Amino acid sequence: MLVDLQGPWSPLLGRLALSQIPYENPILAPLFVVVAIMGIAIIAALSYYGKWGYLWREWLTTVDHKKIGIMYIIIGLVMLFRGFMDGLMIRTQQAMAVGPDAAGYMGALHGYLTPYHFGQIYSAHGVIMILLAATPLLVGIMNVIVPIQVGARDMAYPYLNAVGLWITAAAAVLVMASLFVGDFSHNGWFGIAPIFELPYSPGVGVDYWMWVMQLAALGSTLGSINILATIVKMRAPGMTWLRLPIFTWASLATNIIALTSFPALTVALALIGFDRYLGTHFFTAGLGGNLMLYTDLFWLWGHPEVYFVILPAFGMLSEIIPTFSEKPLFGYVTMVLATFGIAGVSWAVWLHHFFTMGAGPDVISFFSVATMLVGIPTGVKVFNWAFTMYRGRLRFETPMLWSIGSLFLLLVGGLTGMMLAFPAINYMVHNSVFVIAHFHSMLLMIVYAIFGAVTYWWPKIFGFKLNEAWGKAVFWLFTAGTVGVFVPMYTLGFMGMTRRLDYVFNTQWQLLLDVQMLGIAFYSLSVLAFLGLLYVSIRDRAKSRVSHDAWGTTHSVEWMTPSPVPFYNFAVVPHINARDEWSWRKEHGFTDLRPDHYEDIHMPKNTGIPLILGVLTFLLGFGLTWRIWWLCALSLALIIAVVIIRSFDADTGYIIPADEVERMERAHHDRAQAAVELPQAGVPGGVTAYGQGNKPAAKGEVGAPGSGISSPEGSRA
Amino acid sequence: MSHDNPLQHPEVQVASGRGYLLTFLISTLLMGVSLLLVANHAMAPFGLMLVLSLCAGLAVIVQIYFLMHMDLSEAHIWNTVALVLTIPLFILAIGLTAWMFSTLYERTMVMLPTMHGMAGMVH
Amino acid sequence: MSSSTSKALDPSSVELWDHSHHHHDVISTRTFGFWLYMLSDAMIFAVLFAAWEVLSYSHSFAAGPTPASFVEPGYVFLQTLALFTSVLAYGFTMVALKNGNKAGVISGLWGALILGVAFLALDINDVVHLVGMGITPDLSGGLSAFFILTQTHALHILFGLLWMLVMLVQVSRFGFSADVVGRLLSLRLFWHFQAVVWVFVFVFVYLRGMLI
Repeated sequence: MLVDLQGPWSPLLGRLALSQIPYENPILAPLFVVVAIMGIAIIAALSYYGKWGYLWREWLTTVDHKKIGIMYIIIGLVMLFRGFMDGLMIRTQQAMAVGPDAAGYMGALHGYLTPYHFGQIYSAHGVIMILLAATPLLVGIMNVIVPIQVGARDMAYPYLNAVGLWITAAAAVLVMASLFVGDFSHNGWFGIAPIFELPYSPGVGVDYWMWVMQLAALGSTLGSINILATIVKMRAPGMTWLRLPIFTWASLATNIIALTSFPALTVALALIGFDRYLGTHFFTAGLGGNLMLYTDLFWLWGHPEVYFVILPAFGMLSEIIPTFSEKPLFGYVTMVLATFGIAGVSWAVWLHHFFTMGAGPDVISFFSVATMLVGIPTGVKVFNWAFTMYRGRLRFETPMLWSIGSLFLLLVGGLTGMMLAFPAINYMVHNSVFVIAHFHSMLLMIVYAIFGAVTYWWPKIFGFKLNEAWGKAVFWLFTAGTVGVFVPMYTLGFMGMTRRLDYVFNTQWQLLLDVQMLGIAFYSLSVLAFLGLLYVSIRDRAKSRVSHDAWGTTHSVEWMTPSPVPFYNFAVVPHINARDEWSWRKEHGFTDLRPDHYEDIHMPKNTGIPLILGVLTFLLGFGLTWRIWWLCALSLALIIAVVIIRSFDADTGYIIPADEVERMERAHHDRAQAAVELPQAGVPGGVTAYGQGNKPAAKGEVGAPGSGISSPEGSRA
Repeated sequence: MSHDNPLQHPEVQVASGRGYLLTFLISTLLMGVSLLLVANHAMAPFGLMLVLSLCAGLAVIVQIYFLMHMDLSEAHIWNTVALVLTIPLFILAIGLTAWMFSTLYERTMVMLPTMHGMAGMVH
Repeated sequence: MSSSTSKALDPSSVELWDHSHHHHDVISTRTFGFWLYMLSDAMIFAVLFAAWEVLSYSHSFAAGPTPASFVEPGYVFLQTLALFTSVLAYGFTMVALKNGNKAGVISGLWGALILGVAFLALDINDVVHLVGMGITPDLSGGLSAFFILTQTHALHILFGLLWMLVMLVQVSRFGFSADVVGRLLSLRLFWHFQAVVWVFVFVFVYLRGMLI
């Protein structure tokens, strides 16, 4: 029943052959050398410093949700860089290949990328940015923060959490493998039916794309189950639903979306797989197939996915803005309702991605109105943030800058989204770069929130703050890049430039494309500044150590445990008395975070099985891509066997005795005391701007945080 | 809700042989009725689909209540909440897809929409 | 919010740390997560049903065979009976578990397993029969949807049977530990859920397919 393939195939190696290695490609071959040298250097360094055991014990086999979250974030940042490089290549190609007289290099007629290579680059850019950069970054932050915010010691299923991580890592490795073995899909990140069918895309590119997305979807589904169960089942005593921190609410809504929408992607991709491997006719142009069915099923996932990535970003803003406005969040309940309103409506808008399909006017009107409805809860949120800032004591530290930048982008992206919700406008700008500029505004809004959140929660996880001056430099360079790239892009969209052009026929667009080059140059500088930020901050970490309440005006539960957070999160689980528990405790003088007693802690044991499952999953994906059937059968059988073997291991946890906990806690406490003065009891540290006086007189001047208080920055209480 | 003996857990204690047997009988009966109706072409296609959907819906409700124990008790409330939150999504996913493609087929004149699902008229 | 209530509280009346030594309910945490997985699995079926809905118009079969020409309702009803009795047997396994009856649990599992194998054998026989007649999923979009939807259900049955085998070993080896009981409860959700899905498959794929 398997389809006949064009080209060679062998039982041992499938379609894999030496000719599939692009060693003569002038871009990929040097890149491979660089990657290989970096890999060898890392392995050598690990061996030289004898860190293999540390790596294995502390990271590769860990089930600690914080470390898993950090690894998610590292995957996300690495992939963000890879996706950025793709973006850089798209921009340079378009700026170089304008008009018939444009010069051509390296085999291209114009510019330096052949159409086929260019197609792979924009497809990889989209897949990587959405599924392997934004998603792991958000999942990583949720992974780190949600269990601490609900007062739990770990996720509901620590082992499953690690499995999800390593499956995501397998997806990332598979997409990187496509660089050096074979090629990647050239039919856009969302797949264009029927171009991905075997007769039109006979190579392995589409298979890579399909299995990368499939693995990433699997990882996200597992992760969403875990976070949902953690929020529903693992909340600390006293944490009723209306005391849930707002970021946790956002995580709840977003993971409901993930849980229910990722299966649609799984099915859409699996059906392509059946078409390509078994010769079925789901999405073919003839024999009863329906190619619009693919678009429908894809966006059935794809649009909820948009809200899956944006809701945690909203949650992050809702945590950061109150902290740096020194006020509680305005309109907590409406914020929660708006979050769930967005999540609900997200399920009835997906046709707006293919208004031009030709469904009836009733259908189009329904989806148009549903799309516009999203504006209402989003508007509620924006006003809530604005009212939170209104008459607050604003401090423009780096996380706040990112948040405000995020709000501006939300405004631009949201309003252009409203424009696109009109079918009449949508027909005019369909597949133009106006659409590209719109959704990049939204996704960058998320990236801004992520950078804000990383800066905001960094001291919680690592115990020291990121450098303020370098952080601001990153922000302003990044913002210059955003303006430089996307304002001209909106303009070009109105001028009629369509998306995915490897050659730009209209020479009048040259100037705006050059401005975009300037923008991408600023982005490149921001990448360098980010590396500088990490270097300087880590180098100077001794000077920027913080105690548990890193920003002085935080409000939720995660700030009630030492920074860096011990692996068991809380020596004794806190009892929750108020919505903003930490604000409440500061207000009432319960700032001594040493619990009155200690107890035994039960923790999950480390295990290497998730890593093994990740490796096997990668082999399965690789085997399926290259049609190496024995490898597929073997890795699938091993996956099932390993899962069964693990289920026979009844000894998966261990106990830390109470006196050991006490000893570790005392060490944490002493370290915190040595770093900075702990907040003194009875001084409510900027809980509300309208509170009962005895507030620090912080005026929040840009670049002068902490002015007016004697205690060091970070414990202004 | 701590139980040293896992067998005392409410989700174990909820098992009921009578409920399971009842479910078996009801759903087998409903499926049998559906089968007979279709095999004998007992009704016009539209009415038939309506009755079939009713039978399926009834069988599923019985199974969800008696087999999966979806109810408002403390042990099962969150399962029920999760299910109730998800069912509208199933309806949206299938219903809206069906709607948009039926209008698409209508407008691209692939076939007359009224013929969809009608017995004996197509072949 | 709390801004108006900042009068001093008596520290002795406030509970700041959890003293209850509350045991975390391992079993219901496990079954809840598994139920969430089942709902996501249900969404897989929902999307497949959406695809079937779009691809079950008469033109979807590209003038080839439609289910009306090959579905034998009596045979499918036999499958229905096999699956429903298997589910019933698993139900009795749960009653035995409630009574702490290890032999009952093991024989119940065997019953559910054998009847499940019967269902799967009927299904495989059906597919082999159809393929022998030249009715394969690559004939038309409609048949693709028909085969993939019914065989996705069969694949679930296969995994359920594998799981039952594992549980047979675990019940004999570990007895009714919290892990084993949690797994039996999750398997209950999984197995009974297959009956729910089958109702839809039977009515909306086989029976409605006969009306196309």
